[in-house]
Amino acid sequence: MNAGASYVRELQNFWAARLKSKSELYEAGKDLAHLNSAYQLEVLENQSLKQEVDRLEALLGLPARPEYKYEIARVVTRDFNSWWQHFEIRKGSRHGIPVGAPVVFSGGVVGRIRQVHEYTSAVELLSNSHLRMAVVIEGDNRPMSFRGAGFKIFRSPIGLAEYIPNDISVSDPSNPPRIVTSGMGGIFPAGLHIGYLQRLRPGASGMFQDGDVRLEERLSNLTEVAVLIAIEEGME
Amino acid sequence: MNTDNTKKYQSRLSIFYAILGLLLVILYSGLFFRQLIESESHAAKEKIQNQRRILTPGPRGYLMDREGRVLVANKSKFSAVVFLSENQVQKAFSDSYRGMVRDYRERGEKINSYSELRILSRASVLQSYLKGVNELIGRQEEVDATAITRHLNVNPLLPYPLIDNLAPEEFAILLESLPVESPVQVYVSNMRHYPYDNAATHALGYVGYSPLEVQSDMPGSELRTFATKGTYGRNGIEKRFDEQLQGKTGSEIWVVDPSGYQVESVQREYPRKGRDIELSIDIDLQLAGEAGFDLYGDKGALIAIDIDRMEVLAMLSRPDYNLNQTTPFISNKVFKEISDNQAWENKALRGLYPPGSPFKLVTAIAGLKAGKIDDHTIFECDGSHRVGGRNFPCMGRHGEIDLRTAIEKSCNEYFYRVGLETGVDNLSREAIYLRLNEPTNIDLPNETRGMLTPSRDWKKTRFGEPWYLGDTVNMSIGQGALIVTPLQMALMVASVAKNQVYSHPSILKQSPEQLARRPAPKPLGLPENLHKAIIDGMDRAVSPTGTARSAIIKGVNIGGKTGTAQINKKDGNLELAWFVGFAPIEDPKIAVVALVEGQELNVSFGGGQYAAPMARYVLEAYFDKRPEYVNTQKVTTTAALP
Repeated sequence: MNAGASYVRELQNFWAARLKSKSELYEAGKDLAHLNSAYQLEVLENQSLKQEVDRLEALLGLPARPEYKYEIARVVTRDFNSWWQHFEIRKGSRHGIPVGAPVVFSGGVVGRIRQVHEYTSAVELLSNSHLRMAVVIEGDNRPMSFRGAGFKIFRSPIGLAEYIPNDISVSDPSNPPRIVTSGMGGIFPAGLHIGYLQRLRPGASGMFQDGDVRLEERLSNLTEVAVLIAIEEGME
Repeated sequence: MNTDNTKKYQSRLSIFYAILGLLLVILYSGLFFRQLIESESHAAKEKIQNQRRILTPGPRGYLMDREGRVLVANKSKFSAVVFLSENQVQKAFSDSYRGMVRDYRERGEKINSYSELRILSRASVLQSYLKGVNELIGRQEEVDATAITRHLNVNPLLPYPLIDNLAPEEFAILLESLPVESPVQVYVSNMRHYPYDNAATHALGYVGYSPLEVQSDMPGSELRTFATKGTYGRNGIEKRFDEQLQGKTGSEIWVVDPSGYQVESVQREYPRKGRDIELSIDIDLQLAGEAGFDLYGDKGALIAIDIDRMEVLAMLSRPDYNLNQTTPFISNKVFKEISDNQAWENKALRGLYPPGSPFKLVTAIAGLKAGKIDDHTIFECDGSHRVGGRNFPCMGRHGEIDLRTAIEKSCNEYFYRVGLETGVDNLSREAIYLRLNEPTNIDLPNETRGMLTPSRDWKKTRFGEPWYLGDTVNMSIGQGALIVTPLQMALMVASVAKNQVYSHPSILKQSPEQLARRPAPKPLGLPENLHKAIIDGMDRAVSPTGTARSAIIKGVNIGGKTGTAQINKKDGNLELAWFVGFAPIEDPKIAVVALVEGQELNVSFGGGQYAAPMARYVLEAYFDKRPEYVNTQKVTTTAALP
């Protein structure tokens, strides 16, 4: 009995489909294609969101610094010509960002806030020759000077370290001395990664050496950074 | 008519053209002469007019002890400076000056001295820069108008120092806070640094600052040259090895503007550090000696010598001074303090003292070599010996004693007798053979040549008097006219220890090649049994019954001899405490001499009480590092050190 009913239903569907016009079937196919595209777009968006979540998670991986507040900001424009190595971030005085505040990311120091507007701020990059700071070699407490030295074409951004003690060497290229912030200058907290010391040469005074510092390659394509705002400054 | 006129004028024109041509020839000849023949001379003049040379001294080399530890280094000196040649500084100078002139005129006041006003205006500009620096690092410094003028007159190309000697934190703050383009910058220079302050003050020496000597092979010798001051060794090793320690001067040639300020650097040669020198000093022994001196004396000297290598292991002289007070310069106050304390002199090689009882070893050697005594000769000591109507005392009544006991107990009477038996000629000859009449020729500057071994001839020549037996008696116990330096005594005791005569000690660590080149010491010439008698006596002196018992070290056999010499002063005698010794007895490696000057007249100042324990500090430090020489089975009673 049931088998007979099922057979009749199938027969009805077959004749109903046979009776539909080709144009109706074509429209239905188009609808399905649109739906498929919409789903593919959503998959791409999900992927993009996942990447963003990863990035933000990486930013949250910054070391805890109770004396600072992290203000995460998105990079909006970049200017990496040889003179003005800076970029703009989409946070400004409205968000409590002060001039001179250090800018960091998970890979260390990015630079320093040079100018603050209401909703945006200009960041002077670490590779900018106008940015100078007191640094040390990791594990050593003798302060040295660091200055940005621009980007070399197709290569990492570089910096210049001065006043490097004469007992420092870069004899093992696989394990070069790591340069970090000294914390003594009062602007950058201690221990933030700057880069790795490369070539050394005699300094002008004869007392010290000068050296090239290989900076983080990611400096040129950062999309989010964190501005370190001293708690007192933020409260003011 | 016109043709005639034309002809008439043409002839005149020809003359004119000829003159014009001649003038042009002269002009072009001059041009040719100036441009081609004299071009080099003009280029040279232009260079001299437009270029200046700045010389920077190269850092001095380091001094290190025998184990490579740094005894003298260079310390960077960071300063906040203003680069006076910067346009904005120049503009600020002239704006300030014009402003002051305008203010005077507006007030209707007469300007007495424009040059003074210019100085004031510059000082005011520099004070404003200094104010900014003060605010950043929390200081309250002020500029000195006279110093600014002097700087601008003497060294206008060099930056003007606002604040010297920045702390590392101040350096870091200025580095991060001063804009890169600011005329105020952080500047580095160097100064000598002595990590151990007072240790080995006189041996290391100090440096002074004076105008840099320009090396002839440096570029730009024809240019007007500005130079920061260079450092030069003034004393000790710094002076003796100044040439090796000097760094290579760096030079930089600048194109300058008509005012003499820098425009562009066109040539640069970096300064280079001088040669490091490895000394023979062992800082552990040196510090041990310093610690001993802190406890037992104020004035005197101590020397330790590696006998086999003839290298100085420790050398100290008191009073001393903190070498870090001499750098970057010696202030008047410090100079006066050092002078008042009479601390400039290295007593180890310039102090002249009667050797006292340690000289008895020389007397014994002279007697033995002359065959006047042997190792079993016995004399009786009854507390004094009368010679020429005068009683010469002994410190005790030792009864019948032999050479070994006489050395152990430091019996004066025994050695009076030996001296008299041996005679002054043999005594003098032996002292001279042991080189007590000549400098040791150590590689340090200013070793005295005033040492004296008296003899008949000397007395005759010097005083026109004959030599008396009393003189021989005095000489036999190291008194009278005999004077030596502590360094000589160190070599003497090393010579006695090894039965060889040593000279030319070195303060430098010798390479195997240098050691191989050293002339072999000459033999002292004592037969083994006689030499052993002296060594036995010295061994017994550093035993619980000997005079040098406070030098005893557990597990090490030490040979020593104490002494208490006397210097006649106007109001009495000043005593000197001596200890000379070596160890281990079986294979002498180290010789030590300690000399302590008494502080008060007519107050007893025994060598066993003051000098021997001081030497013990050094010997302990030496054998702590060489356990292979320490016999842990040997049971020795040691005197406790404080």
